Amino acid sequence: MLPVLSKTILEHVFNALIESGVTEIIVVVGYKRNRIQSHFGSSHRNVPLTYVVQERQLGTGHALLKTRSHIDETCVVINGDQIVGTELIDDVVETHQTTDAVATLGLLNRTEIGEYGGVLLEDNSVSEIIEGPQDDRNYRLNTGVYALEPSVVDTIEATPPSNGEHLLTDAFRKLVEDGEPVRGVVSDGLWVDVAYPWDLLDATERLIDDIDWTHDGKSAVNSSAILHETAVISPSAIIEANCEIEPGAVIGPNVSLGQNVTVGTNAVVERSVVDTDARIGQNATLVDCIVGQGARIGAGTVAPGGPSSVQIRNRVYEDVQLGALLADRVYDGGGSTYVPGTVVGADATIHSGATISGTIGAEAEVYP
Amino acid sequence: MCGIIGYVGSGDETADILMSGLFNLEYRGYDSAGIALIEPSLTMYKKAGEVTELERSLPSDTVRGAVGIGHTRWSTHGAPSDANAHPHTDCNGDVAVVHNGIIENYQELRAELADSGHEFESETDTEVVPHLIESFLETGANPEHAFRLAIDRIDGSYAIAAVFEDTEAVYAVRKHSPLVLGLGEDGNYLASDVPAFIAHTDRVIYLEDGEFVRLTEDEVVVTNTTGDVLEKTVDTIDWDPQDAGKSGYGHYMLKEINEQPQAIRQCLQGRTSEHQQSVLLEELADLDHDGLVQLVACGTSYHAAMYGEQLLQERGMQAQSFFASEYDADRIAVDNETLVIGVTQSGETADTLSALREANRAGAATLAVTNVVGSSAARECEYVVYIRAGPEISVAATKSFVSQQITLALIASTLADVSLPRFLRALQRLPDHIQRVLDRTTTPAVASEIADSEAYFFIGRGTHVPVALEGALKMKEITYKHAEGFPSGELKHGPLALLTPNTPVIALVTNGGETATKTIGNVNEVAARDAPVIAVTDARESVEGVSDTVLEVPRTHPWLAPVLANVQLQLLSYWVATRLGRPIDKPRHLAKTVTVE
Repeated sequence: MLPVLSKTILEHVFNALIESGVTEIIVVVGYKRNRIQSHFGSSHRNVPLTYVVQERQLGTGHALLKTRSHIDETCVVINGDQIVGTELIDDVVETHQTTDAVATLGLLNRTEIGEYGGVLLEDNSVSEIIEGPQDDRNYRLNTGVYALEPSVVDTIEATPPSNGEHLLTDAFRKLVEDGEPVRGVVSDGLWVDVAYPWDLLDATERLIDDIDWTHDGKSAVNSSAILHETAVISPSAIIEANCEIEPGAVIGPNVSLGQNVTVGTNAVVERSVVDTDARIGQNATLVDCIVGQGARIGAGTVAPGGPSSVQIRNRVYEDVQLGALLADRVYDGGGSTYVPGTVVGADATIHSGATISGTIGAEAEVYP
Repeated sequence: MCGIIGYVGSGDETADILMSGLFNLEYRGYDSAGIALIEPSLTMYKKAGEVTELERSLPSDTVRGAVGIGHTRWSTHGAPSDANAHPHTDCNGDVAVVHNGIIENYQELRAELADSGHEFESETDTEVVPHLIESFLETGANPEHAFRLAIDRIDGSYAIAAVFEDTEAVYAVRKHSPLVLGLGEDGNYLASDVPAFIAHTDRVIYLEDGEFVRLTEDEVVVTNTTGDVLEKTVDTIDWDPQDAGKSGYGHYMLKEINEQPQAIRQCLQGRTSEHQQSVLLEELADLDHDGLVQLVACGTSYHAAMYGEQLLQERGMQAQSFFASEYDADRIAVDNETLVIGVTQSGETADTLSALREANRAGAATLAVTNVVGSSAARECEYVVYIRAGPEISVAATKSFVSQQITLALIASTLADVSLPRFLRALQRLPDHIQRVLDRTTTPAVASEIADSEAYFFIGRGTHVPVALEGALKMKEITYKHAEGFPSGELKHGPLALLTPNTPVIALVTNGGETATKTIGNVNEVAARDAPVIAVTDARESVEGVSDTVLEVPRTHPWLAPVLANVQLQLLSYWVATRLGRPIDKPRHLAKTVTVE
C-alpha cells in the first residue's frame, strides 16, 4: 500500500476509535513503519499510541498475538486500511457489552459479498463464517471490526495456522465449534474498504460527504496555506498546512492536498489525492489521480482521467475510475500525457513530452 | 545544570508526582537524584546515579507527605555521590533545599558558617543555603523571611526551592536559571521545565529573575525582591505531553532524526512563498539591519551558527560566529550598529545567555533563535524567531540542528532582502529530500563495518565545514570514540599524521565544481595512506575509484546539500553507537541543557 493511503486512512480510523471512547490505541506496524510512526508520534488527539512491530505478515491473528502483552481488557480490533465510521464501532462495542459474547463481529447487509467474508447469523449468534461464499444463503459481510475479550488471544494461539497464517476468522470458527458465544451485529455505519489504490478516490469522496471536517477547530483549508486570490478552491477540497496555490489554479471537488504541496499557476486538480511535499507544475491538469509523496509533475502535463482498465500484477481490473497513480517521488518533466489507468512506480522518471499508459516500474525512465 | 521540581498537594501522591517529574527532567542531568517530603516532619531520600536508582532505594510504602521537592543533578561542585546529591539540609534536618545553578560566593559563606559552628556534609555550593536559612531562623525569622534573607546573601545563578518542617508550603526564587510554576486542580507545581508536570496541568506562570514564590495547595503568590505581590500572566502550554514519548523507536535520537522532514515543514510553515519569491518572517518585520551580524552559540548550535554565518556572507552581509563562552564584548567590536544572534535550542544555555547579555549591554540589537517558547533567551532578546522543531529529548541534538540551519537561512534571506527563487524551490523540496535519505540510507551496514575503528575524521569544504564538525561532535557524544572534523584543505597541515587503515575518513563531496574537485583531491591523499574513505555525495560517479563506500544524498541547491549530508552523518553515528551498545539518549557526562557557564 502507498503511504499516502495508509496515513490518511489510519487518521480516520483513529478519529473514529477515539470518538467511540477508546482510550488507548495499539498499532501493529510493518511496511514503511517509520512513516507511520513519524506521522502520528506517540499520541493522536491526546490518546496514547503504542506501536507493535509485525516483521512478517502472517495473518490477522498473528498480528493480534504480537500485541498480547498489551491486552488485558476488552479490546476493539480494526483494520488500518478500511474507512470506518464511529457508528459501526459503537454498534459492535454496545452489542459486545450487553451480551455474554467473547467476540463480536461488525457486519453489513450487502447484496454482493464478493471476496469478503460472509457470516451467517442465528439471532445474533454467529453460526458460520465462509470466505467468498458462492451459495445464496443469507450472508452478511464481515467488516473486520471486532470487539474481543482478552481470552480470544489464547484461542488464536491454540488454532492451527492455515497456509502458514494465523487468521482471526479461524479462531472465531473454533470458538463457535467449542460453543463459546460469538455474536454479530448488523450495522448501517460507514465502511469503505481501500483494497486498491483507486478505492482511495471513492473513499475520499465519501469522507468529504460524511465527515465534519471542521472538528477540533480545523477548517478544510489550513490557515497556514497560501492561496492566491485568483485561485479557485472548491468547498469540498481539503488543503493541509503550508500548501501554496498559485494564481488561477483550480482545486476542484473531492481533492485532498497533503502538507507542503505546491500547485502552480493555472493548474487544475480534480477528484485527486496529492501527498505531502508534492509539486504540480503550471498548467498541469490532473483528474482522478493519486500523487505520491514528493512527486514532481511538470508544467503542462495532462492526466484527463475517466474509466479505464488497470493491470496490477497479473490481474486486470475493468472500469476503474483512475486517471493515473504516480507513486512517491515520480519525476515528470512536463508536457506528458497519461492515458487513464496508468500506474507509475516510485522514483520513476518521465521525460518531457511522453505519452504514458499501462504500468511503469519503480525507478524506470521513460523517453517520448 | 540540574532539574528541580516542587509540589504542594493534599494527598499521598506527592512522592509519585515528584518521581515522575524527575524522570521527565532527566534530560537536564542524571548523575544523582533526591526528594524531600514534609509529613509534617522532614524526610529525605537521595542517591547517586540515575533517577531509577533513587526509585529503587525508596521504601515501598512509607514515603508520605503532601509537600515536597526533588532534584536530578548534573555535577558542578563535588563528584556524583549520595552525600552530594540534593536536597541538602541544615544541621538539624529541619530545612531542605534543592538548587540549579552556581553560588559564586559559597566558599566565603561556608567558611563563615563553619566558624559559627555549622557542620557540612557535602562538597556542594548548595549546602550553604540551608545553613544560612537555619542561621536566620535562629534569630527568630519565620520561614519565608529566613529564606529571603538567605537568598540576599548569595551571589551567582540559581533556581532554588526550599521546604521547612511543619510548614505546608514550598518557597522558591530564580536568578539566571529557569523556573516555571504549574497551576493544578489539586495542588500547585514548580519545576525547571514544563515536562516535569505537564501530565498534571498545562497552565503555567514563567518566573522572572529576582522573583520569589510561595507555593501552597490553594495558591501561588509571586513577589519581587522587596516583597510586593506581583500579578503574573498565566500561559497555556499547547503541546502534547505524549510528544515526549518515543513513538515506537528504540531511542529518542532515532525518533527525532526521523521527525526531521516534519520539523522542516513546521519551520517553513507560512514563512515562504515561492510565487511571491519571498521569505516572510513576521517576527522581524520591524528589524531593518544591514550592518555587522555576530552569532553566538555553543556545541551543536555553534555549528548551526557557523552555517548561518556562511549564508549571511554568501548574501553579501558581514557576519561572524563565536563560541558563546569566548564572546567578550570588551575585546570584540560590538556596538549599537551590530545585530547579535544567539542560537540555543533550550533558550537556557548559560554561556549563550551571558554572551547575549554582554551584547545587550554594549548596545547591540539581540535576536534569539530558539526552540523553547518563553525561554530566557526568548524573553531577554529584542527579537526572537522560533525554530519550531518540537520537544527534543535526546541529549545529542538532531532535529533542532536542522531546524536551526533552516531558520538561520530564512533570517539571512530576510536580512539581505534578496529574492532567491531556486533556493526557495529547493527549500520546498527539502522535507522530501530528507525523507528520501531516511528511506534509503545504508548507514546500518556501513556502521557495522566501521564500528571497531580507532577514530573517525570528517572533512568538507565551504558550507560542509560546519557539518563536518557537527558529524564529529555527534560521533563523539554518543559513541565515546575519538572523532574530529576539519576543513578538508587542513587535513594535509597536520592531521594526516593520524591516519591509519583503522581510521575511517568521512568526506562530504557534493555539488560538483571546484570545491568538490578539491575535496576529492584531499580524499586521494587519504586513500594513499590506506585510511578507508566513506564519501557522502550526490554524484556517485564523481567519487568512484577514490572511495570505498558511498552514502548518497539527493542533488539539491548547494546551500542545502550540507543539510542532507548531515542526516547521513547523524544516522552513521547513531548506528555506530548502537553497534557499540552505548546508552544513546543519555551519554555519560553530558546533559541536554547546560545552564552553567
